Amino acid sequence: MATVSFQQASRIYPKSERPAVDSLDLQIADGEFLVLVGPSGCGKSTSLRMLAGLEEVDSGSIVIGDRDVTDSPPKERDIAMVFQNYALYPHMTVEENMGFALKLAGISKDERATRVREAAKILDLSDYLSRRPKALSGGQRQRVAMGRAIVRNPQVFLMDEPLSNLDAKLRVQTRTQIAALQRRLGTTTVYVTHDQVEAMTMGDRVAVLKDGVLQQCDTPGVLYDRPANVFVAGFIGSPAMNLVTGDAVDGGVQVGSAVLPVPRDQLTRAAASNGKVTVGFRPEAVRLTGPGEGLPVRVNVVEQLGSDAFLYTSLADAPDDVLHSADLVVRTEPRTPVASGQQLWLGTDHGALHVFDAQTQQRVD
Amino acid sequence: MATLAIPATDTGRDTPPAAPATRRRGHRGGSKAGKPGPVTYTLLTLVALVSIFPLYWTLVAGSHTNAEIAATPPPFLPNASLFDNFRAALDQAPIGKAIINSVLVSGSITVGTVLFCTLAGFAFAKLQFRGKGLLLSLVIGTMMVPTQLAVIPLFMMIAELQWVNQLQAVILPTLVSAFGVFFMRQYLISALPNELLEAGRVDGASTFRIFWSIVVPVARPAMAVLAMLTFLTAWNEFFWPLIALTTANPTVQVALAGLGSGYVPQRSVIMAGTLLGTLPVLIVFTILGKQIVGGIMQGAVKG
Repeated sequence: MATVSFQQASRIYPKSERPAVDSLDLQIADGEFLVLVGPSGCGKSTSLRMLAGLEEVDSGSIVIGDRDVTDSPPKERDIAMVFQNYALYPHMTVEENMGFALKLAGISKDERATRVREAAKILDLSDYLSRRPKALSGGQRQRVAMGRAIVRNPQVFLMDEPLSNLDAKLRVQTRTQIAALQRRLGTTTVYVTHDQVEAMTMGDRVAVLKDGVLQQCDTPGVLYDRPANVFVAGFIGSPAMNLVTGDAVDGGVQVGSAVLPVPRDQLTRAAASNGKVTVGFRPEAVRLTGPGEGLPVRVNVVEQLGSDAFLYTSLADAPDDVLHSADLVVRTEPRTPVASGQQLWLGTDHGALHVFDAQTQQRVD
Repeated sequence: MATLAIPATDTGRDTPPAAPATRRRGHRGGSKAGKPGPVTYTLLTLVALVSIFPLYWTLVAGSHTNAEIAATPPPFLPNASLFDNFRAALDQAPIGKAIINSVLVSGSITVGTVLFCTLAGFAFAKLQFRGKGLLLSLVIGTMMVPTQLAVIPLFMMIAELQWVNQLQAVILPTLVSAFGVFFMRQYLISALPNELLEAGRVDGASTFRIFWSIVVPVARPAMAVLAMLTFLTAWNEFFWPLIALTTANPTVQVALAGLGSGYVPQRSVIMAGTLLGTLPVLIVFTILGKQIVGGIMQGAVKG
């Protein structure tokens, strides 16, 4: 077990001008479960591969424990990796797959068998040890890939979207199993996903990347409650945060015919760049108010989920210059008697507004 | 906006009954394609007959005398003179030695070609190194140079090495082939996922270990095909062995060339000798054919 740190690490692919990972600075504590999340092409997998030694580091450095591994090959880094498509050796049995790394490390046959069996027991694979990957289900293959990582007892686990090939139900189930396994083993883990729900539920901390640049790295709670910029605000949370941009006026931000109230000093700082302010509010921070009070919206679609309901609405009097006004999502009590096409008025809870500078996209408190 | 929502739910309600119908239709089409009709069988039988006939004619002609073959109509059934003709052929040329020589030569060339082409194909397919594109085009470029052009310099080289009439003179020049390198490269590019190699590297394997423990098992079906092709080509090779070897130490094809020579070519002896020279290959592929095809199928399913 060890700490991991990225120090100004960059990766520029040949024939590309923009770095895939741009001066990444990240400290990962011993035993921590850190999730790298972002949309596709944000550099999260590249960062992981740089840590694994499968991708060159063009500038900066990567340190595992107290060892600078920037130029070391993967086998000298004492890491184990779980690949998106599992990358099981097709001609080897489950036992051979899990024991391959131990065999290469020159560990005796008996000890290899013991360690593979232990890992198989943890992962409920004992009955499948003599099978080939071909004869396993997707979930079992995924567990073999996990097993191949844990038998080695490495300093760091690297996982590259290990759940993306599973069906939705199995994914939720395996998600909790991986998190529990990681807590039990206490091994530092870096986990890459594009799924923000996975990121929020599994990680001790979550690092959000976009275009190769780290946007914010913090606990799931802080990311949700205090997103550092408009991108993180829109990326974390499902359904996403409602974001509207409008002119700063006396008392708040003009959105359509209504004004969303923003405290004066916050408003002044947010509007400093170009007079426009982006405000965000989460679906659950919205109340239905009486006619004429707050934002007038028209309901487009009602989604009944049983435990709650989501109203997908748009501003009733949307002027053309309002960005992100296509959908304002509202969470309500289930079975609220609301129909498509109905006009409603929305109010936001006090203190629930997130305020961003519309130009720099940064959060203003 | 409200109208937008209504068709959406409508299509949603329509989808479930539609789905089984499509599946049924797909299944019927599939079973039709799976069962070939009488036309297919007739065609396949014809093709098989046409392919088998030359071999059968070798047997028939090899088991008659020259005069009997020349008769009208020609004989269509084998005859007991086959063994007399075998004896005549064995008297006229060292066919036994030639078969042993051919097995040695073709076997070494096959092992060498499969090993070296797999190594080079793997390097060209998956390793990153400077000048890779240029080297590959050079390798492919050699396919465009006719063998005949190389014969004189090659002969001068083996003469210098005093290898004339030695088996290594026919083995060494063909131990690796440009076609084989390209063939293995193409196969490995598609059949070997990069993640498998990366998993090997993370597991701590050296490049050679990755080749031996991961690449070779994955490449096995293509290696079998290459082995089959190479063995046949080497067995049938005539031009270069005729130059490099003598009739005292020949391969099968060189020995056959010395058969039935004289004022009137003895066709029946030539045919009997040809049959002797072909039998080992036939036996090998009758026995191994199933395994080779099996290997190909297994690889296809494993993907």
